[in-house]
Formats: sequence, C-alpha cells, structure tokens
Amino acid sequence: MKNSWKIILLLSLVIIMALFAGGLSNNPRDIPSPLVNKPASNFTAPVLNSQETISLADHKGKWVLVNFWGSWCVSCVAEHPYLMQLAKIAEKRDDFMIIGVDFRDTIEGANTFLKRHGNPGYKHAFDPKQKIAIDWGVYGAPESYLVDPTGMIKLKHTGPLYFGWFEKVALPQIQGKTNGSN
Amino acid sequence: MAQINIMKRLAQAIAVVATILTTISPLAAKNLNEDPSEALVRTIAKDLRCAVCQNQSVYESNSDLAKDMLEVIRDKVKAGEKEATIRDYFFQRYGDYIYLEPTKSGMNMLLWFGPIIGLIIGALALISAFKKWKKNSVKTEKSKKEDDKKMQARIDEELKNIEV
Repeated sequence: MKNSWKIILLLSLVIIMALFAGGLSNNPRDIPSPLVNKPASNFTAPVLNSQETISLADHKGKWVLVNFWGSWCVSCVAEHPYLMQLAKIAEKRDDFMIIGVDFRDTIEGANTFLKRHGNPGYKHAFDPKQKIAIDWGVYGAPESYLVDPTGMIKLKHTGPLYFGWFEKVALPQIQGKTNGSN
Repeated sequence: MAQINIMKRLAQAIAVVATILTTISPLAAKNLNEDPSEALVRTIAKDLRCAVCQNQSVYESNSDLAKDMLEVIRDKVKAGEKEATIRDYFFQRYGDYIYLEPTKSGMNMLLWFGPIIGLIIGALALISAFKKWKKNSVKTEKSKKEDDKKMQARIDEELKNIEV
C-alpha cells in the first residue's frame, strides 16, 4: 500500500515534468493553422500602385506564395532581402509565382518601405482593413502560405522566410506534385 | 411640525432619486441608442480571443487586429449571418485557439474534467490517510495502556523485593 502511493506520486511528478518540458519547448507564437490542406479562400483586391485588381483564382495552375506583410512590420524588413531573391527565382520559373498582401497599411507607408528596401517586382494586393488577412487566419506579419496549382494551401510559414527556404521547403512540395502528375 | 418633517423627508427622497436618475441616464441612453444588432456583435466578440494579445477578447482588446475582427463580425451580423456561422468562420481560420473558453470536445475534455477528477482522487487519498492516522492513534493508545500495566507489574514486583 505504501509503495503504491509512492508510485502514484512519482508518476504524477513525471507527468507534470513531461507537460512542463513540452510547454517549454513549444513556441507560443507558432499556432498551427487549420487552413493547411484546405482550399485557399479566394480574394480580389486592388493592386498597390495600380488601377487594376488581383485575384488569386486567376492564377490557378501555378504554385503561388501568398506573402502577408506591412510597412509597420519590423520582421518584414529582415525578410525582404530574401523576397528580392525569391522574386528572381519566380521570374525564371513558369510554375511558381509570388503575390504580396500588404495589410493594415497605408499606400504611402508601403511605398516608402519598397523605396527604402527595394521593390521585388511582383504584385501586392492592398488590404488596409485586413479583410483578406483575417479571411486567411493571419495573426501577424510576415506570414506566408504556399498554395498549390489546384488552389489548396499546402503549408504556412509564420515569421520571416529565410535564405534557402524555397529549395528546402517549397521545392520538395512542387517537385512532389510534378512527379505525382507525371 | 410633523407635516414639515414629512415634507422635508419627501424633498430629500426626491433629490436622491433625481441624482440616481441623472447619473445612470447617460448609460441607459447609450444602450438604448445602439443598433439592436450590436448586442449579438458583443456576445460573439466577447467569446473570441484577440489573436495577438493572448488573454483578451476581441471585444475588450484595443489592438488593430481585434478592431478589424470586430468590424468583420459587425459586417456579418448586418448581413444576417447566424451566431453559430460567424463563430465557425473564425474557428475554420484560427482553430479552437480563437475561443477564449476551450470547447468541450477532444483533448479539451481533459482541461474541463481533469481538475475535478484530480480533486476527487485527492479527496479519496485524504480520507484514506485520515482513516489510517485514526487507526494508528487508537493502536498506540492501546499499546500504551498495555505498557503501563506491564510497567506497573514490574514496579510492584521490585517494591515487593525491596520490602523483603
């Protein structure tokens, strides 16, 4: 009887420690998105610095990286050099493109940002009331979603994209799909 | 004299009621003037977590995301969408993290009933421990009495020896 209580006490301690260790190793900012492997919500929005509009549905058949950013976001500055490089990769490929979504921002703010840090050249949907961002379950910036040619969200990346991200994360997805269809 | 006193009391009572009415009337007016759909907006927004401020509801938070989420809720309520549909819209996009109160399903059941189960186990353990202590204390009293008897017998014997 005495031993059974000791075992129960030890077991409870182990469970509490395991939960604690799990909690410590978790990143509280990394909240899993329920949108992965679900159809991406379409949006049609005005293009930043243009009279035209952009719609996600118009780009079915291509892998689309939807990158949410804002001129107010400090991490977006850190991410920007990689986006400049990724834009060049996208230019060379006919199966991959990037759409930026500039949310909760002003046109002046966005232009100052692009002037200061460089314009990657792809189109940005302008979303000042963050309707698209909320529709896509965005918490903060930057956040990126990789949408496959059928319009399904294949992955979500929270935080700045890093050098080598395309080769390490996106390319295996794209090639997997290419192999699958061949 | 008595009549003057009654009049004084009445005047005092009227003054108190008037003060209370003038104090609460702006609050009442605020609620009366608001759009009837705002009550539903408030109910939904109070249950949803502001995604960027950990432990505040969309209704209470002052963050930009919460304000825009409130706007989305308002638009949907005005468009005639039902409460369950609007709650589900946010759930589909942000997962159950968006609810301030965890839903009573799946692993969340552990959150809801774990503490109660823990409390019951704790109470049972305490009861059994108390029983054991009580048993032990009765036992020691009994053995103490026995010891006393033995000691007394020995003392008596020793005394007898001395007397002889």
